[in-house]
Amino acid sequence: MEPIIKVENFTFYYPDSQAPALEGINLTVREGEFLGLTGPAGAGKTTLALALNGIIPNFQGGRMGGKVMVAGLDTAKTPCARLAGVIGSVFQDPEAQLVAEVVEDELAFGLENLAVSREEIQRRIGAALEMVGIASLRHRSLRELSGGQKQKVAIAAAVALRPRVLVLDEPTSELDPQGTVEIVALLQRLNRDYGITILLIEQKISVLAPRVPRLVCLNKGRIVADASPRQILAQEKLTTELGLEVPPVTALFRMLRRAGVYQGDLPLEVDEGQRELGRLLGSRASRA
Amino acid sequence: MPGKSFLHKLNPLTKVVWSLAVITLAFVYQQPLPILSLWASVLAVALIGKVLREILPAIRGLIIFAAIFFLFQVFLIDEGQVVFTLVPGTGIGRITDVGLKACTMLALRMLAMTSTIPVLLATTPPKDMIVAFVEKLKVPYVYALMLVTSLRFIPTLQEELSLVIQAQRARAYDLEGRNIIKRFLALIPLALPLLLMSVQRARTMAISMETRAFGAGPRTSLHTSTFQLLDIGVISSCLLLTAVLAVVSLH
Repeated sequence: MEPIIKVENFTFYYPDSQAPALEGINLTVREGEFLGLTGPAGAGKTTLALALNGIIPNFQGGRMGGKVMVAGLDTAKTPCARLAGVIGSVFQDPEAQLVAEVVEDELAFGLENLAVSREEIQRRIGAALEMVGIASLRHRSLRELSGGQKQKVAIAAAVALRPRVLVLDEPTSELDPQGTVEIVALLQRLNRDYGITILLIEQKISVLAPRVPRLVCLNKGRIVADASPRQILAQEKLTTELGLEVPPVTALFRMLRRAGVYQGDLPLEVDEGQRELGRLLGSRASRA
Repeated sequence: MPGKSFLHKLNPLTKVVWSLAVITLAFVYQQPLPILSLWASVLAVALIGKVLREILPAIRGLIIFAAIFFLFQVFLIDEGQVVFTLVPGTGIGRITDVGLKACTMLALRMLAMTSTIPVLLATTPPKDMIVAFVEKLKVPYVYALMLVTSLRFIPTLQEELSLVIQAQRARAYDLEGRNIIKRFLALIPLALPLLLMSVQRARTMAISMETRAFGAGPRTSLHTSTFQLLDIGVISSCLLLTAVLAVVSLH
């Protein structure tokens, strides 16, 4: 089957910039994947997100090379409006990306732009709110909502257009830990239950690592790693270079590995670590 | 907001018609007393619409504005009998009876005309305004949307401004200079971050709209703007009353 996202040798320079924001990017994502994307500030994560939804080069000028294909559409030759029905986007700032006053109208915005009939808009708003689990907020004013709720509205507004891919650019950076976990869990559900391909840009590795099967790391405009979070977090040199926030439990087991005490997979979450530690201590005790 | 009073239930355009009727009468009347009662009628409508308390600060602002308007004009008219001189014995600060009457009229007229605007805004959700303007008056959607999104940004900007003020205060920045020039200069470190943040915000919003097919072509609308029986009644009585009062006053 044809991959849903295919980036081929993509390079992009912002106007008046000598250094490329992205250089020689090759990335293939199959439909239904849940992909994490991380890297230090200025690595080109946002640029890649904007290249996927067609903002680059349709809205943001600059020099580009290579090709970005989403669901068989060349993003450079397809108007943003056409891409809107294929790929949905959620951004960092919950405040600035919402255009309406009331939740329902926010969801209606994209559907109205696509000239969907009034009855169908009603139906799709209902369905999208159900999917995101915020049906009770339908008639609430956006101003009264918390940051996490606003982000859920932004996700619902994207989902209402029935995209096959969702790209989220650090949607949790302004949320508390609880809100962050909720958003990631919601994305997992959308991925599992509705088969939406998810590309989540995220700095908080400890939240991301246990939940995504595949993690792509960007640094200075290039992809420097594309593997499972376990494989990536095992590479001390890489994680230090990227300044990745390694979960403490993973760091502990890396030390145990280096000391030659532990040979198994690196745990990414505390309860996983607890189990491994119990097993480790148990086997030592029985040997003694 | 919906269902609070009959004013809230009216179509936005009905309220615009009322507004225009008040403006027409404010120009027709040539005596202070009728204009004063016209203004009182606007406030009475606000009272019946249960928004008088809400719009009081705006009304106060308009009164101050009218007073400044009055003061600037009143010294400039030379015709008529001198009733008062600011500096006795000289011609400086002379007020005449003609000037006094003309400026009172001007100030009251402005007050009556502008007081309908806060009533309109307090009883109409911006969204309804867009729908009514686009559907009934065929205003291009982009213009209507621009107006409403800029209104939506005001509370956000206020929040951001207070954030900037706190941040600058935390770094011992003095905002309370005595001298007016210093005070004006003190605004620059507040305005600059605010401006930059707003530009960033506006860009994000534009991108967010772009990714949701904004400007794809003809669009539909979830809400629709309708004229109820009440609207037709209010519009026709506004028109009738204005016509009658205008004819009576001009004779």
